Amino acid sequence: MSNSAMSRVNLYDTRADHASVAAETPLAYSLQRSGAPAPSAASRVVLREQAFLGHLILRGGAIVLDEALREVLDIGLPGRPNTLSWDASGERSIQWLSPDEWLLIVPGGEAFAVERQLRERLGDASFAIVDVSGGQTLLTLEGDAVPELLMKSVVYDVDPSHFAVGKGVTTVFAKATVIVRRSGESRWELVVRRSFADYCYRWLLDAGEEYAIGVER
Amino acid sequence: MNQQVQRLAQGGRIDRSRPLSFTFNGQTYQGYHGDTLASALIANGVDIVNRSFKYSRPRGIVAAGAEEPNAVVQLGASEAAQVPNVRATQQALYDGLVARSTNGWPSVQKDLMGLVGKVGGHFMPPGFYYKTFMAPASMWMTYEKYIRKSAGLGRSPAEADPDIYDHFNRHCEVLVIGAGPAGLAAALAAARSGLRVILADEQEEMGGSLLDSHEILDGQPADQWVAGVLEELGGMANVTLLPRTTANGYHDHHFVTLHERRTEHLADCAPASAEGARQSRARLHRVRAGQVILATGAHERPLVYAGNDVPGNLLAGAVSTYIRRYGVVPGKRLVLSTSNDHAYRAALDWHAAGHEVVAIVDAREAPDGNLVDAARQRGIRVITSSAVIEAKGANRVSAARVAKIDIDGFRVAGPVETLACDCVASSGGYSPVIHLASHTGARPTWNDALLGFVPTLVDGVHAAGGAQGIYSLGEVLADGAAVGARVASVLGGSAEPLTLPACEAISESPACALFQIPHEKPTLRAPKQFVDLQNDVTAAAIELATREGFESIEHVKRYTAMGFGTDQGKLGNINGMAIAARCLKRTIPEVGTTVFRPNYTPVTFGAIVGRHCGELFDPERYTALHQWHVENGAEFEDVGQWKRPWYYPRTLSGKPESMHEAVARECRAVREGVGILDASTLGKIDIQGPDAREFLARIYTNKWAKLAVGKCRYGLMCKDDGMVTDDGVTSCLADNHFVMTTTTGGAAAILEWLELWHQTEWPELDVTFTSVTDHWATMTITGPKSRQLLAELTDIDLDRDSFKFMDWREGTVAGVPARVFRISFTGELTFEINVQAHYAMHVWKALFVHGEKYQLTPYGTETMHVLRAEKGFIIVGQDTDGSVTPEDLGMQWCVGYDKPFSWIGKRALTRSDTARRDRKQLVGLKPKDPKVVLEEGAQIVFDPNHAIPMPMVGHVTSSYYSPTLESGFALAVVKGGHDRMGESVYLPMVDGSVHEAEITSPIFIDPKGERQHV
Repeated sequence: MSNSAMSRVNLYDTRADHASVAAETPLAYSLQRSGAPAPSAASRVVLREQAFLGHLILRGGAIVLDEALREVLDIGLPGRPNTLSWDASGERSIQWLSPDEWLLIVPGGEAFAVERQLRERLGDASFAIVDVSGGQTLLTLEGDAVPELLMKSVVYDVDPSHFAVGKGVTTVFAKATVIVRRSGESRWELVVRRSFADYCYRWLLDAGEEYAIGVER
Repeated sequence: MNQQVQRLAQGGRIDRSRPLSFTFNGQTYQGYHGDTLASALIANGVDIVNRSFKYSRPRGIVAAGAEEPNAVVQLGASEAAQVPNVRATQQALYDGLVARSTNGWPSVQKDLMGLVGKVGGHFMPPGFYYKTFMAPASMWMTYEKYIRKSAGLGRSPAEADPDIYDHFNRHCEVLVIGAGPAGLAAALAAARSGLRVILADEQEEMGGSLLDSHEILDGQPADQWVAGVLEELGGMANVTLLPRTTANGYHDHHFVTLHERRTEHLADCAPASAEGARQSRARLHRVRAGQVILATGAHERPLVYAGNDVPGNLLAGAVSTYIRRYGVVPGKRLVLSTSNDHAYRAALDWHAAGHEVVAIVDAREAPDGNLVDAARQRGIRVITSSAVIEAKGANRVSAARVAKIDIDGFRVAGPVETLACDCVASSGGYSPVIHLASHTGARPTWNDALLGFVPTLVDGVHAAGGAQGIYSLGEVLADGAAVGARVASVLGGSAEPLTLPACEAISESPACALFQIPHEKPTLRAPKQFVDLQNDVTAAAIELATREGFESIEHVKRYTAMGFGTDQGKLGNINGMAIAARCLKRTIPEVGTTVFRPNYTPVTFGAIVGRHCGELFDPERYTALHQWHVENGAEFEDVGQWKRPWYYPRTLSGKPESMHEAVARECRAVREGVGILDASTLGKIDIQGPDAREFLARIYTNKWAKLAVGKCRYGLMCKDDGMVTDDGVTSCLADNHFVMTTTTGGAAAILEWLELWHQTEWPELDVTFTSVTDHWATMTITGPKSRQLLAELTDIDLDRDSFKFMDWREGTVAGVPARVFRISFTGELTFEINVQAHYAMHVWKALFVHGEKYQLTPYGTETMHVLRAEKGFIIVGQDTDGSVTPEDLGMQWCVGYDKPFSWIGKRALTRSDTARRDRKQLVGLKPKDPKVVLEEGAQIVFDPNHAIPMPMVGHVTSSYYSPTLESGFALAVVKGGHDRMGESVYLPMVDGSVHEAEITSPIFIDPKGERQHV
């Protein structure tokens, strides 16, 4: 029986660490089938997948989660809905998703340790942590035409004057749903579900053609 | 071969150094850059551009903008590039443009329907088609084909569209529609306050009426002011200018659809961009605006007089526009018939172009404004208290019959004078363009002083300038600036008031109310007086409609077709209402107006579809193993948006297996060896919290209190009506931690269902739900040899006594951390291996490496269906349809009647209806003839000899051929079926044959379930 049979939740590291085990990102098939146009000087949008990051969904009360996060990762929960915050390194982010739901993204390989530390710190508090690392991926979009590309894709108002750096929303993307975040002046991020990743990737290549979209690999 | 006989040597906003060649109805002509197709046709002296819809009369160009009813053409040089219903007045000319008349099969000059029009004219009253072609009803389709063909409503291309179209979602504080003087002033006033402003205008150039205006702004031609304003707006980061963009629909909450024609002024098909990328031909902007300013201007109303449809009858304003903007004069000798001063510009422009103005015929007794004076000063004859009562001519106006008229008495009041001319321009005043305001559902109100409907505006919508009946330029500019500033201040913006350009005031004497001109003969016997040129509705038709009892204007509209179709009553509606009012002896406001609907002008389907077509039509959801399925020749089935392998046909001695053969092979592999299924699409919901168990007990019909850690249980979910809505296995991962599986299609809806009940009914329960569908990939290995296979790859103890059926264990499979569940949807020994999706391909391939010696066989959904049906396992949504209870399914074993807390559906199951003995119940059916595979959906009867209609007692829900049973078999719902085991039922088929089948248990194989326990 599992090592956590005695605890009240099942904490399980689903990551395979052996070099012999090949991991595939959600875009593995898409890159092969649809290709990846190389970025050029003309590219007004450059797409890059930040593959194999740790994605954790946190549920619970804001105050206890905030305290635990500060202690474990030195980042606080974002103070307002539809925003996110980063740690000092910029490698870890925590995003508001709904009144009791946040998305924590950490470097690949950290998710299990972070989850265990948070669980230890949170103890008997009312909360939940769910590892969804295998189920989604993060795409970054960089370039001056990203807002236009997004206007072709999402119904949310992504005008840079109304979508400040540090904002993040869950919204309709073509006929799928994605999380859109702005992480810099001309840098945006999409969190895409694995099963929709191919559709989103093909949509982005298509919509990005007029901006000479390039894919960094 | 420049034959531009009606082109002036100079003037207009055209570039005479850039000649363009185009083809209309097979003949080649020349025009200039800056022309519309309409202005180029006029320049070339083309009088007849179409045949009319119903009477097939020759028709010419009437207007210069969106309101054009006649010059509706079919565009496109190639079959694939065909675009129907293009208004020649809105189509910019480009080199190589090819256009044809929309109407008038086989040709506009000479056509078959012309005969009907001429001979049958008097016999084609309103409702003609309804009346004539009513019987026999079966023939209507035949009649319609020819009527449509001869009427000609344009045609769609028969080949795939080579162009792409796209959508843009835009948001702004202020959307200004129309870039004439009011719109420009409003946009500038709003933009200077820093608000996000979108300015959209449907024409080739922004500027609206100022592009063909004589008026001087700040001592300069008006177009200089336009250029200055556009330059300022264009330099502001908060402003988006959208030329060639029509606001076609005003939807709820200030959601406005703008249709931008991006390349239609350049070529048939969109050329590549300078960078070589594809460009979309048209773009639909989906604008969500804070406030909207309608600066849509006004349409001139033509007068309704006999013969007013003969080519050469134009709107007065259009005459001015053609002369001033395009440098073409649509004739040699003009008679102008007017009710107002403004229209005098047409005669003055005509005169200035050096052509003869035969007379201005003014319905008023003593017109005396500045423009009237100017006309008199130029020696133009002004005939007062009179109107053109009839235009003569067949293919072109040859004369105007002019007489004194008594407007109030609706009669001709003096002798008729016939004036030779080739052009009759008319103006009955101006109608604010209120279409978009009407789209919001607000009925416009009649304004007696303006002689027009003005828009009623819902909150957040504003009108400026001509759109609300303000016509003199100075007032229009001031109104636009004021509205723009007001909207800005409502939204919290502020700026210095706009300094308006100085502009000379022109005094105009009051217009008179004039719509239909009386003729010597009564309306019903006079030559045709057209109200709606596009739909061929005459004044007589409206009068007849009112006589036949159609009193509501909505009924008159539908009976006569006035304002139908792509025209949407732009020119005719108000004249039609005025005529109906006269006939009904009511006022125009008493008669009321009809509703204008989106779209304002036709929108190509491509723009509506955008990029949601072809491979991007709908998301295709892939599992982590999709590539393997593709590479191994799977045929796919759509399950929701997922692409699931359906079956894997093999090629045996050069011949691909049929689906039947492949499925039979896959079934045998599972029953005799080992098969593997990609089950990743099943919904998976992670449930955590101290109250997780209690929540499950309330949401499922069965019990969860005693499910131990390490165990799995099948659960059935009902809606509150007691009907089965989903099922699946939920496993206890830890005391406060479960993972629920749902059907593939139900995943999202079930997550919402759980949240709904948690958030609204039981918020006190400490539990959370998170979708992990995409995180885990699920590989099901099933069959007697599945244990042997898995044992080669895992560190989990697979002993049948320590890892029992309905247990789950953690361990590694092929070196990857996995949760393995011993649950079975095939009835065989089964292990469902779940790993993080990133590693799915690695594990799957490892299974095949080790599985080769067991002939590990991939199987798809079809085989899965057969195998589960053999076991009587239901598929929610196939064997149930929202009217089936757990008891109907014979699944009382899965209902916890005595659970301490109620559960969803419990009360509904105690209703007398759900307790009936004769409800349709799930049973098995075994056809008497084992070769027969019953049709899914086939109706079941007890007595095949019963007189028709036979009482239908159920239907087949699932039906397959079973290679194991060597027979067809089915699941079905039959009334009182549970008490009819062994009885025969009958299935009458459409071809007259009747199948007989025996009611059996729905479990066909291994009724004791021993095979899955091994």
